[in-house]
Amino acid sequence: MRGSFVALLKKDFRLCVSGGFFLLALGSLILYSCYINLVYAKLDQELFPVYRYDPGKAGGERIAGVTDVGSLNELEEACADGYSVGLHINGDSVFGGKTEIMMVSCGIERLDHIREAYARSLLFQEDKTDALGQAEIIGVNTREMKNRREMTAEVLFFELVAVGFLGVASMLFKEKQMGVIRVHAILPVSRIQFILSKLTLLLSSDLLFAAVLTVVNLGMPEGLKALPGVLLQAGILSLVMALVGFLCAELLPDFKQFSLIYLVIAVFITTPVFLSVQAGVEMEWMRFHPMYHLFTAMKNAYFQVLSAGGLYYGACAAAIILLFLAAGWGLGREMKKEG
Amino acid sequence: MIRVNNLTFSYGKDKEALHGLDFTVGEGEIFGFLGPNGSGKSTTQKILTGILKGYGGRVSLLGQDIAAADTKELLKQIGVLFEFPYLYTNLSAVDNLRYFASFYPQERVRDVMELLDKLEFKKDYLKKPVSSYSKGMRQRVSMARALLNSPKLLFLDEPTSGLDPSGAVLFRKIIEEERGNGTTVFLTTHNMVDADLLCDRVAFILNGNIAALDTPQNLKEQNRTAQKEPTLEEVFIRYTGRGLEE
Ligand SMILES: Nc1ncnc2c1ncn2[C@@H]1O[C@H](COP(=O)(O)OP(=O)(O)OP(=O)(O)O)[C@@H](O)[C@H]1O
Ligand SMILES: [Mg+2]
Repeated sequence: MRGSFVALLKKDFRLCVSGGFFLLALGSLILYSCYINLVYAKLDQELFPVYRYDPGKAGGERIAGVTDVGSLNELEEACADGYSVGLHINGDSVFGGKTEIMMVSCGIERLDHIREAYARSLLFQEDKTDALGQAEIIGVNTREMKNRREMTAEVLFFELVAVGFLGVASMLFKEKQMGVIRVHAILPVSRIQFILSKLTLLLSSDLLFAAVLTVVNLGMPEGLKALPGVLLQAGILSLVMALVGFLCAELLPDFKQFSLIYLVIAVFITTPVFLSVQAGVEMEWMRFHPMYHLFTAMKNAYFQVLSAGGLYYGACAAAIILLFLAAGWGLGREMKKEG
Repeated sequence: MIRVNNLTFSYGKDKEALHGLDFTVGEGEIFGFLGPNGSGKSTTQKILTGILKGYGGRVSLLGQDIAAADTKELLKQIGVLFEFPYLYTNLSAVDNLRYFASFYPQERVRDVMELLDKLEFKKDYLKKPVSSYSKGMRQRVSMARALLNSPKLLFLDEPTSGLDPSGAVLFRKIIEEERGNGTTVFLTTHNMVDADLLCDRVAFILNGNIAALDTPQNLKEQNRTAQKEPTLEEVFIRYTGRGLEE
């Protein structure tokens, strides 16, 4: 009994390796972590590069976040990218300067205004440092930490939805193609074990992924504190998605149709998440979207807030059990095919 | 060993595939199950191996009614060779067999190397993935898989398809040998040479009914004409009503 489960696990592991699944997971782990650490976490500190040409020293000493250049030419060159903002200050230290903004339009008028306002705000930043500093730090959640938590939650959600789903389906499609599922119909092994071994493998790889991603991106003490809640939500999401993938792979005849369904499901799942996170929209109908609740629970876990109640966990358990039964039925159907 | 009483099966309304089969197969017998395409051979084999449920009538294997018996216990004593060599193509012959062996009780499992050697499997391919094997090599590995658990009851579906003549001779020799050890063989095939050479008795199945059931010798004799004794193939065609009718 135990020996056969180990054999199933080993076989599934080798299928995953030969399908490049772990490589894919490792690659996305590195990619996401680099993005969060190198791009996203810093995005807030330097929204737009700002350059200053101030020949008369009218603007005073160096300002944090503003790069001084030596000539008008240099200034023009530096802000020719439609992203950076140039400040040309005319005048001298006695009479004060008149600031001229130089920038290439990015094509969106509103964004151009924001760039201008941002650059101007830097010039007056000096006097307000204390006030701003106090406003930014609330408890241990600095703005950067908040960004990290938010982004890590999003990334983990998308990874579990997309890659987990694809992982189990690619494993199963390979077995379907080789016809070996039918062989399991005449082996003294239960269907439940066959499904469980795939779930175990996927769940452990997803949990490992979640743990590494969390610790790498939130840092040591904070990451560890959030970890139990995050792992619980990751486990639920991983099981749900693996079983959905299992069912799709059983019912669809080939990978081509699977990729179509994959698109539909991806849009269905990610729409409310994108709307609520990126656009800040929270619409009434989202309450009825199961994935919205899974995502919210994941996000809350990153902020160490326990908001989900018994109803949520009850619904998750029911969904997992129903999906499991459906996967067992689908497997039986596949086993009865020509052989 | 196999006892089938009034077996019926339907794939849905008005799609009855089997209309009441009756036959028994004795211990150590090689029983041929022959019939044209779509006559119900695979359906019968799937019911016997426990894959299809919801049939009518009674089926017992190894003295137990399969509806009541512990399926897992029965499957431990059964070997099945499918029509196509279903194997993990990313694994080698040895790894495939070790994997499938892990589901059977250790005391039933035969030595993998010995088995492959007996099937004259090319030694330099033992550790290479199945994806690099020819059809005949895959067929050998599949046969090894069917024999892995020293089955008391062996179901074979087109065992010699894809084999060259010497491979077919070898397979026939191995099937005879298994029978010599007391194994009962249920052989589904379109190959009349195999059936004639191997089978103690054959059943001709047509549209879900048994059209004839006897030893190959008797069948040929009963259908003898003045000029010559017909081949089993000619008898088969006479019963199943296709092809060279005069
Ligand atoms: N899954 C299925 N759904 C509906 N009808 C089926 C199904 N499988 C088989 N049949 C029908 O049942 C009948 C018997 O099919 P079966 O596969 O048992 O034939 P067979 O004797 O194995 O043929 P072959 O020699 O071509 O393998 C056929 O008429 C076939 O169309
Ligand atoms: Mg068939």
